[in-house]
Amino acid sequence: MTPTRVRCPETLDQDTGRTLFEVVCGKKVVPADVEIDLSATLSMDSFGGAWILRIAEQLRNGGKTAVCVGAAGDVAAFMDMLEPGMQRPATDTRVDTVLFEEFGGEVINFTKEFREFLELCIDAIYWTLVAPLEGRGFRFGAFLDELHEMGVRAVRIVCLMNFLLGLIIAMLSAKQVEAFGLQIFVANLVVIAFARELAAVMTATVVSARTGAAIAAEIATMEVQEEIDALRGMGISVTQYLVAPKLLAMIVALPCLTVLGMFSGILGGTLWGIGVLGFQPSIWYEQTLGATSMGDIGQGLLKSLFFAVAIALIGCHNGFRVTGGSRGVGRMTTRAVVMDIFTLIVIDIIFASFFYYIMK
Amino acid sequence: MESKGDIIIEVENLVTHYGDTKVLDGVSFTVRRGEIFMIIGGSGCGKSTLLKHLCGLLRPTSGRIVFQGSDIASMDEDQLAVMQQSIGIAFQSSGLFNSMTVGDNIAMPMVEFGSVDPSLVKPLVRMKLSLVGLAQAEHLMPSDLSGGMRKRAGLARAIAVDPPLVYFDEPSAGLDPIMAAGLDELVMKLNKLLGTTFIIVTHELDSIKLAADRILMLDRGKVIFLGTLDDVEKSTNERVRQFFERRADEHIEQRQLA
Repeated sequence: MTPTRVRCPETLDQDTGRTLFEVVCGKKVVPADVEIDLSATLSMDSFGGAWILRIAEQLRNGGKTAVCVGAAGDVAAFMDMLEPGMQRPATDTRVDTVLFEEFGGEVINFTKEFREFLELCIDAIYWTLVAPLEGRGFRFGAFLDELHEMGVRAVRIVCLMNFLLGLIIAMLSAKQVEAFGLQIFVANLVVIAFARELAAVMTATVVSARTGAAIAAEIATMEVQEEIDALRGMGISVTQYLVAPKLLAMIVALPCLTVLGMFSGILGGTLWGIGVLGFQPSIWYEQTLGATSMGDIGQGLLKSLFFAVAIALIGCHNGFRVTGGSRGVGRMTTRAVVMDIFTLIVIDIIFASFFYYIMK
Repeated sequence: MESKGDIIIEVENLVTHYGDTKVLDGVSFTVRRGEIFMIIGGSGCGKSTLLKHLCGLLRPTSGRIVFQGSDIASMDEDQLAVMQQSIGIAFQSSGLFNSMTVGDNIAMPMVEFGSVDPSLVKPLVRMKLSLVGLAQAEHLMPSDLSGGMRKRAGLARAIAVDPPLVYFDEPSAGLDPIMAAGLDELVMKLNKLLGTTFIIVTHELDSIKLAADRILMLDRGKVIFLGTLDDVEKSTNERVRQFFERRADEHIEQRQLA
């Protein structure tokens, strides 16, 4: 069967190309192979070329072929340039996975990630606690910088949040006990709540959103820009250089912030008790002091110590795991904060069940 | 109607500062339609800065940059956007969007400008990718590519919609010689067949000798040479001779930066 011949116009661009496409492929069934005659064509651009590629593809899908003939001069050179594009397109090699593969993949990923995290933990413990004692060095200057960034600069927001929370707790609970005339016990509630739970959790939440995200973003950006590789290439331990100062700074800063948080929270409750409930300052003060116990405060501080380790290590861990440029940095930062907050709650539950039910 | 040989861009007495440092100092030149115009000079002499001025990313302290009859320096945002859509820019570090596949990166100007028939986007993307030898990379993410491949994908995006004017910032840096030669050839082909004007910042002596119609050399923000390759032979400027003969300074010069 002889191929059908189509003549191309003088200039082959987006509009004339569309006309050509409609002529060749407009019918439901293309009757035969097509020869595209370019002998009359004097100039063409990429869009014209793209229409020819579309025609070729359309025919190939129908089991027919398209060939270009008669091109001369610049048009021939242009068609030569397009030649590689006339071949079969790249196939999308990403394969769809079925349910079990996906499940298995998740399990493998999880174990891999868990292993990496454990390695990081062990490394971090070594470089923070053991190595300085062995005289292998600790970056004290960096530690102070981090302490300033994580601790001092977070004081205002931590105090404000705890203060407002104290105010709210007092407000809420006073309303509940109003009918029984037990409002003075609001002082007890605020003190115990802030010493045991709220200051530690609230402060850790603020810090994980503030510093946990910053740690993850910083390390992820360094990873993306090959700064981490540069460090490794110089034979410097990344854990010593980056993780250890951050970890120790966090361990020092978070309990300090928690103490400030306890103060501000109790201050918030006191403001409500004296200002709105109308108690004598001395009575409220006595009541507050009477309810304070070192055991409760110690519980809160111990918890904040665990929170600190979790926030620093989760931030670093997610930073190191980044892939895929700027989008990856954003994803890992989000992930770090989500994991932080989840971990905080888990630690909190473990502590609560331990102290309330096992220790009594 | 535009025709070959018109002035496409004219720079008059361009002066610009970064802080207190004068980066460009009275730069003047014109580029004609259909030319391959190369900007050369040592590191830190203001080449990339000049390029950023030419596409309106930076505003000069004083001087005029006239693109097809209108001054870039006095354009408002909308006019600038229209101008920028007729320019293809390939950045030094590719500037690909990390969140999209390579194919989507190249399709992006076609889709965003809205000047391309939607059904043409796919074959065009394939065509442009195969022009830079990356036909197989269409579905990969930029982070899966090597540095040189990313650079080529950046070039493919720059020429996506057949812009009349294309800026390349060091197109062949980081490419192997074979690929670099292939790119020179591609530039010359596009220049010949589509009449695309190219303004290329480069260090590559070989591609200058092969492809350049005219050359502008900058040194410390000043133009020290402007002319064809033949004019280079006649130049008496010591820096120009040194550059083309690839001679080192006797002492590595310590530039005053601040």
